[in-house]
Amino acid sequence: MVDVRNEVRKPDERFTLVGAGCRRHVPHIAAPGRFERLRGLPIASGAVLMLIVLACALAPVLSNCDPKAFYYDALNVPPNAEHYFGTDALGRDLFSIMLYGGRASLGIGVLAAAIMAAIGIIYGSVSGTAGDRIDSAMMRLAELLGSIPSLLIVLILTAIFPAKNVFSMSAVIGVTGWLGLARLVRSEVRQIRNTEYVLYARATGGRFLYVMRRHLVPNFLSAVMFVVVSGVSSAIAMESTLSFLGLGLPVNELSWGSILSLANRALITNSWWLIVIPGLFLVVTLLCITDIGNRLRKATDRRCSFL
Amino acid sequence: MRNEGLPRRIAARVAMLVCAMLLLSVVVFVMARLAPGDPLQAFYGDQLELMTDAELAAARHRLGLDSNIFVQYARWFGSALHGDFGLSFKYKQPVPDVIRPLLGNTLLLGSIAYVLVFMLATQLAVFCALNEDRPVDRIICRVGTAIYYIPGFWLGVVLVLVFSVNLGWLPSSGAYDVGRSGDIADRARHLVLPLAVMVATHLWYYAYMIRNKLLDEIRRDYVLMALSKGCGRAEIVVKHCLRNVAPTIVSIMAISIPHVTGGTVIVESVFNYPGIGNLAVESAKYHDYNLLMVDVLLTGFAVFLGSFIAQTVNEMIDPRMRETGTIKW
Repeated sequence: MVDVRNEVRKPDERFTLVGAGCRRHVPHIAAPGRFERLRGLPIASGAVLMLIVLACALAPVLSNCDPKAFYYDALNVPPNAEHYFGTDALGRDLFSIMLYGGRASLGIGVLAAAIMAAIGIIYGSVSGTAGDRIDSAMMRLAELLGSIPSLLIVLILTAIFPAKNVFSMSAVIGVTGWLGLARLVRSEVRQIRNTEYVLYARATGGRFLYVMRRHLVPNFLSAVMFVVVSGVSSAIAMESTLSFLGLGLPVNELSWGSILSLANRALITNSWWLIVIPGLFLVVTLLCITDIGNRLRKATDRRCSFL
Repeated sequence: MRNEGLPRRIAARVAMLVCAMLLLSVVVFVMARLAPGDPLQAFYGDQLELMTDAELAAARHRLGLDSNIFVQYARWFGSALHGDFGLSFKYKQPVPDVIRPLLGNTLLLGSIAYVLVFMLATQLAVFCALNEDRPVDRIICRVGTAIYYIPGFWLGVVLVLVFSVNLGWLPSSGAYDVGRSGDIADRARHLVLPLAVMVATHLWYYAYMIRNKLLDEIRRDYVLMALSKGCGRAEIVVKHCLRNVAPTIVSIMAISIPHVTGGTVIVESVFNYPGIGNLAVESAKYHDYNLLMVDVLLTGFAVFLGSFIAQTVNEMIDPRMRETGTIKW
């Protein structure tokens, strides 16, 4: 390397060169490291959720008691070394119930969200692509159904089809929760349907299902994902609420909701662990799923505030 | 729509309201009657097993359960016009008699909760908008989301566990102590916990919506104008932005009615509060369809009426709404 400063100064001493040693700072752009790539991802909530899912999946390995057994020598005992989370008034081990019951609760959440997504996407796509009259009729119908609290619709449905197992429960929750999704899909579809590529696909003979699969779904998927993911958490919450009201899974079908349906009895005996522990599991799971769902939502791009 | 007078527009809307109610009643009726659960079971309970086939048929005929569904609907509708909604199978009383004493309790709980939620939500939203992206705003957003996602029934049970069972400060159930239904202080004591749950499980949803609307609003040019004239920040948000957001708040309030009503169902069941929400759960459990139908229709009516009022109010606030005729988002 030649020293620039000396070389420039030599030819003429009358001039002083200003700022010759100055180098513009060029930041070194490194490839994003392993940790930087993870920034912004819901790591903590993802990890906690994974932990809960794994624990439920590995329930037979982890639990030290039989969830369906009645331990008559340990009725309603608080958490201790043998029964990690205590037992309920029937002498059932809460720790193993939580693990096995989580399978039902999480299963219902995913299944109901899938049903909800299927109905909502199809209904919204049909409504969005149909003519004005059918569209407005379909939206009016959705509005009408939306005017009844979804809990009341679920009440009617559970009165009609008493939920005996995980599948009927998911079906009942799934068929009531799709209204918001359908509305969102419809508005997305109405934007996409006027584009040239949809016109081209239709002109060259693409059928409705083809256009939907190849063009509509991929385009609105990102907008819909958030609603679907939060559908999982609302389905889990709905299952536990229904079970609590005595309209969900029967007490012998283990789930987080069915154990919470005993909460009223637990109040009388003041056994806090039967209320707090299942509820905490429920709340933590809901918050983790919601947090993950929130990252999927498009960040709103607001300009600078005037205030 | 534009040149028609106010009476005609209101008449058109009333017609819509009636149509919606009719449609709703058909839907609910068909759903209720297709149900496999036997209403006779609810009516007669265990006696059912002792009855002969002839007696069963007679009972079915007496309760109007034997004809086809259209005839049943026509008959139900005809008598409903005269205020006769049939017998509640479980309580063996005419449905209005079962519902009437409970309606007031639910209206009390629901309306206080409704007013509280929206008053607090607006204030919280203004506070957050004034402190946008500051730590306090972020903390409120986080905590609000967390509280919103706590299931209402569980929150209720935990509150009962803490404040009634262990601390003994507040009653855990009912709307009033026995024989003290007129005592306002007693009623208020019974309302504290249910209202707390209602507010906690609804507040953030609406506060967040209003906050986001306000955040869009403070990016408008008139805000810069007002600021350069020397208006205070709080003054601008409250006097200018909030006014522009008001129609949105009104329409949010209208669409929130099903949500809040659903909340009262849960809260009433948790606190064993004698209201129509609790009644709906009971009637669903016992397949008491006559009762459940009227319950759902009442709720639907409240919702339609809410959106009706919201539209009219919006037109008064913002005459531009008249031209489009729809609620703007």
